[in-house]
Amino acid sequence: MSSSMLPIVENIPVKYFIEPVPPMDRPRRFLEVFAAVLKHSHYRYVLDHFARVAAKCGMCAVECPVYQTTGITTDVPCARSGLLLDVYRRHFTAEGRLMARLTAARPLENADIDAMTEAFYRCTACRRCNLQCPMGLDHGLITHLGRYILSEMGIAPKALVVSVREQLVGKSGNTSGIPAPALLDTLSFLEEDLKDKFGLDIKLPTDVEGAEYVFFPAVSDYLLEPDVLMGQAAVFHATGDSWTIGTGYFDGINYGLFYNDRFLEDIVHKEVAECRRLKGKKMLIGECGHASRTAKGFVPTYGGENPPPVINILEYTDRAIQEGKLKLNPDVIEDRVTYHDPCNYARSGWIVEQPRRIIRSFIKDFVEMEPHGKENYCCGGGGGTVSIDEMRGFRTGIGGKRKAEQLRATGAKYVIAPCANCKKQLKEVIEDHKLEIELIGLHDLILRAIEF
Amino acid sequence: MAQLKVGDFSLDLDEDGFIQQPEKWDKNVALALAETEGVNELSEKHWKLVNYLREYYQKFGVAPMIRKVCKDTNMKLNEIYELFPSGPAKGACKVAGLPKPTGCV
Repeated sequence: MSSSMLPIVENIPVKYFIEPVPPMDRPRRFLEVFAAVLKHSHYRYVLDHFARVAAKCGMCAVECPVYQTTGITTDVPCARSGLLLDVYRRHFTAEGRLMARLTAARPLENADIDAMTEAFYRCTACRRCNLQCPMGLDHGLITHLGRYILSEMGIAPKALVVSVREQLVGKSGNTSGIPAPALLDTLSFLEEDLKDKFGLDIKLPTDVEGAEYVFFPAVSDYLLEPDVLMGQAAVFHATGDSWTIGTGYFDGINYGLFYNDRFLEDIVHKEVAECRRLKGKKMLIGECGHASRTAKGFVPTYGGENPPPVINILEYTDRAIQEGKLKLNPDVIEDRVTYHDPCNYARSGWIVEQPRRIIRSFIKDFVEMEPHGKENYCCGGGGGTVSIDEMRGFRTGIGGKRKAEQLRATGAKYVIAPCANCKKQLKEVIEDHKLEIELIGLHDLILRAIEF
Repeated sequence: MAQLKVGDFSLDLDEDGFIQQPEKWDKNVALALAETEGVNELSEKHWKLVNYLREYYQKFGVAPMIRKVCKDTNMKLNEIYELFPSGPAKGACKVAGLPKPTGCV
């Protein structure tokens, strides 16, 4: 392909919240925030190491779906990370400061801050590049840190900021602004639907004290994904385990992962507090990649003494099948099905085999995308970018281009994406690339095939 | 900030064209909002959907689940898209004077 055929997007139109920092003071403010973050975190150890070993060898370039599509050198992961590592070397290491003095290096400028802002939101934080880095750099972590520093000086995408504000200080206390009475109304609607479908009283129980599992889905599922929720309720009906939804707090989403560590911690506290209020034994996270990864990774860190264990619904359903508690009719789904690995499940190898065991137990015509599992391609809307509507053209045309090609190659009728983030993004990828494939959740299909 | 002109007064709009003061909503505001969505006339079916969303929002403070909208108004999702091309959340809810949905929607 000649380079002229590549779609070049120089700037993505993201609406940022910019607190009133005078333009002249932005570089100073950036360095102050950077210094404060280094002082109050463990990032210095990581940066020290990365700044020493980063070789800019470019091995990561072939792994990045954004760079593969744009061909712009600033989209190469190590070039992007280099923006922040250069600032670190220049301002926060003794050698860097000395060299800067000897060579009269130029200071940090406004343009550098704009370049970092653009670069860190072109990255979907899928961490596919980590697989190939011979020096072990985690470019996703650098993106995360870069966004954190920017957000502390008031630069963060509006879509993320308003959602987190509603979640942490708003009336509803969740990212979609769903008040508890609306949740209850929705749950009784779903229970009616289940009754119509199966003739059974399948509950979506609320505020049950001492339940084995306290359930936190992506709260947007309560607006968009009735079948996923009913499928999960049906699985619990089959296993007979006790579970509950807490009306005090019922959102698994944690956008802190995407731009700010302080919010990440505050949101984890809310989840854990609700689990404790209900004397629940474990936290169960629904079909949502980043919600699962933040809970799994940070409840042990921020969850206080004896933090509750965290499991994901796919792990739960897989085990229920292994233990023979769940019967799925293998003759219901005849169409070809493929499975999209959410990066936040699969990159670490955490949830790769479980969904495949579930799928193979009742779906005959299952095809894989290549590559898949730990090496999967991002849906193109990772790292919180899916919530930024104005980025849609970038997300589906560039970030999601490889995924669209993969989807088309399967010839499948359905693509399963067990993640609220990937679901929204893949629906838009399918629309924008005019693909003949339908997006579906894993528990939607389970709902169709489950037998009692 | 963008403004929506309705008769002789105007309302603040956010960048996505949603009204900022949901309590100021009335039928004329709905008509003006519909025009911004490229819907120049509101049929009985449009009003049925808009009024349903409005009533639900006033009772519960949020839009209902999309499946519930379809069931309660007896409309299919594609019919809603025919009425409001930007769909239930970003089209119909906007005209009904709801704020822009946040989070993963």
